Amino acid sequence: MIQTHAGPIIQLRDIERRYRLGKTAVLALRGVTVDFWSGEFTAIAGPSGSGKTTLLNIIGCIDKPNGGRLALRGKDVTDQPTHRLASLRNQYFGFIFQTFNLIPVLTAYENIEYPLVINGTPKAERRRRVEELLVRVGLAEHRRHRPNELSGGQRQRVAIARALVNRPVAVLADEPTANLDSRTGGEILDLMSELNESQQVTFLFSTHDASIISRARRVLLMADGILQEDERASFTHAAPVIVPVAVGA
Amino acid sequence: MKFLALAFRNVFRNSRRTALTLLVITFGATALILAGGFFLYNYEGLRETSIRNGLGHLQIYTRDHLDKSEEHPLQYGINHYRELQEWLEGRPHVMATTAQVDFVGLISNGEKSEAFLGNGVEPDRETLLGFSLNLKEGEPLSEESSDAGQVILGTLLAKSLNAKVGDVLTVMSTTTDGALNAIDVKVVGMYSTGIKEYDARSIRMPLQSAQHLLESDRVSKVIVKLDATRNTEMVRDELAAAKLGPYGAGLEMKTWQALATFYNQVVSLYNSIFVFVGAIIVILVVLSSSNTMMMSVYERVREIGTLMALGTRRRQVLTIFVLEGFLIGVLGATIGLAVSYGLIGVINHAGLMMPPPPSFNKGFPLLVKFVPELFAAVFFMMVALLTVAALVPAARGSRLEIVDALGHV
Repeated sequence: MIQTHAGPIIQLRDIERRYRLGKTAVLALRGVTVDFWSGEFTAIAGPSGSGKTTLLNIIGCIDKPNGGRLALRGKDVTDQPTHRLASLRNQYFGFIFQTFNLIPVLTAYENIEYPLVINGTPKAERRRRVEELLVRVGLAEHRRHRPNELSGGQRQRVAIARALVNRPVAVLADEPTANLDSRTGGEILDLMSELNESQQVTFLFSTHDASIISRARRVLLMADGILQEDERASFTHAAPVIVPVAVGA
Repeated sequence: MKFLALAFRNVFRNSRRTALTLLVITFGATALILAGGFFLYNYEGLRETSIRNGLGHLQIYTRDHLDKSEEHPLQYGINHYRELQEWLEGRPHVMATTAQVDFVGLISNGEKSEAFLGNGVEPDRETLLGFSLNLKEGEPLSEESSDAGQVILGTLLAKSLNAKVGDVLTVMSTTTDGALNAIDVKVVGMYSTGIKEYDARSIRMPLQSAQHLLESDRVSKVIVKLDATRNTEMVRDELAAAKLGPYGAGLEMKTWQALATFYNQVVSLYNSIFVFVGAIIVILVVLSSSNTMMMSVYERVREIGTLMALGTRRRQVLTIFVLEGFLIGVLGATIGLAVSYGLIGVINHAGLMMPPPPSFNKGFPLLVKFVPELFAAVFFMMVALLTVAALVPAARGSRLEIVDALGHV
C-alpha cells in the first residue's frame, strides 16, 4: 500500500543523464529540477532529442540518472537496487507507450491484468478491477481479443487500462498519440483528460504535437536536455523537500 | 503458474520455428531410443544365444586349470564330477548341469589330417540344458549305444576333410599320461556355429569317447544352467558360500559374463557407438534449440523491456524463457517417444534382416527392444537439455537494459 503524502509526488533535483554514442558523450539531461503533484495533467514538450523521453524514463525508474536525486512521495529512490526499482515501477507508475507495447500472446483482459498478477493481487480483486477498467475504456466486448485483433486506438485504450489497473501514483505516457490518426489520438487524449478530471489520475506525457500540448494544464518545455519553461495553469504549492528514506525498508 | 501459462503461449507464437525445434528433438529422441533399443535387443539376444550355445550360466573348473597351463589333457580336470553335478542339481535355481572335456588333436580321413578343437559332451544332458546346435546335416550325438564312437564336425572342417555322414575318421590326441592315442569315430552329423573359424576347426563327440581317447575319467568343466540369467550372480554367491558342496575343494566358478568374450566385445563396441551417436544428437539438439531460443529473445527485446517496465523482475524474465525451453523439451520428447513407440512396432513387424557380422556366415533379425527405462531416460534427458539450452538466451534477455529494450527496433 502506497502511503499518502502531502508534498509533491515526484521530485527531481539536478538530474543529469549522459549517454555514450560511440566515442561521443551525449548529455541528454542537464540538471533538471522539477516537482510533480498529484492530479496534474502535464505535457513534457520539446523537439526530438530534447530529453523528453529520457526525463520520463528517469521519473518512471526505467532509467537511472548519472547525477541528481529522484524522490517519489518524498522518499529518495535514486540508489535503489534493480529488483526494488521493479517493485517501484509496478506500485507507483502506469506506463503508456507510443507503440502500445501490449504482450501479443495475452488477451486484452490479460494485458490489463498483468501488472496485478506480478504483484500478487488476489484473483477476485484482479477481476473486479480489470472488468471495471474494460468498461471504463469501452472495451468490455473485446476482453478476449488479442492485440493483433484490435485497432490502434483500441490497443492504446488497453494500454491506458493496463496503466491504471494498479492505481498508480502517476501514469507516464511517452508520445501516446504519435502512432494514431488525429481522430483516434484525440479520443485517447479525451479519455486521459476525462480520467484526470473525474478520478484525479495524474498524467505526465511527452509530446511535440501542438494540439495536444494545448490540452495540458501544465507544460514543461525541454530543449537540449534543459528544462526551459514550466507553464502552469493553476498549481501553487509549497517548496518541496527531498527526504532521503529507503523505499520499502 | 502465471509464468508457465505465459511461456506456454509463447511456445506457439511462432509455430513454424517451434515445429522445426520439435522436429529436431523428435529426431534426436527417436534416434536415441531406436539405437538404444536395437543395441539392447542385440545384447539380450547375444547373451541368451551365448548361454544357450554352450556357455551356460556358470562354469566350474579346478583352480589349477584356471591358474596353470596343462602339459597334458585333463591334467587339472575335475575328478568327482558326477557327485558335484548331483549336488549342484539339488540347489535352488539350478535347472541342469553337464560336464565337458576340452581337448585338441588331429582328425584324419586317411589321406588328409586337420587340427581340431574338440569337446566331449553329454548329449542327453545338453538337451536338458537346452543347448542348441545348428545341425546342417545328419543326426545329433546320442549317448553311445555301441562300441563305435560318434563325432559331429563343423561344416567347414567336414568340407576340408571331404567327410560325409557315415564316414569313419580317425581322431588322434595325447593322453593324460602324454602318450599318443587314436580312436576311430563315425561321422553322424555336421553343424554350424555361425563363426567361420570355429566351423573350420571344431568337433564334438560323446564325453565317454573323449575320456576314452584321453584315457582319463576326469572332465574339464561342469556347466550349470539356471532358471533365469538374472539369477546368475545370486546363485554364484550362494554356491560360493556353500564352497560348492562336499566335492568342491579346489574348484572355482566363472559366470557366463566372464567367459563371453565375444558378447563383451560387442557390448563394448555398441556402447561406444551409442555414446558417439548420443553425443552428436545432444550437440545437435542443444545448438538447434539454443539458436531458436536466442532468436526468440532477439525478436522479443521490446516485449522484454515492456515486461520489465511493468515491474517484472529480471529473474522472472529468465524464468519465462527457461520455462519455454522446458515446455518445448516436454513437448518434443513426448512426440519423440510416441514416434519411437510406433516405429518400434513397425520395425519389429517388418521382418528386416541385418547382414552377417564379421566372421559370421549368417545375418540376424533387425529388432528393437521396447525398454521403458530407456524411454524415461531419453524423455528426461531431452527436457533437461532444452531447459539448459534455454539458459544462456534467457540470461541474455533478462540482462537487457529496459531503456535499450524499449527502444529496440
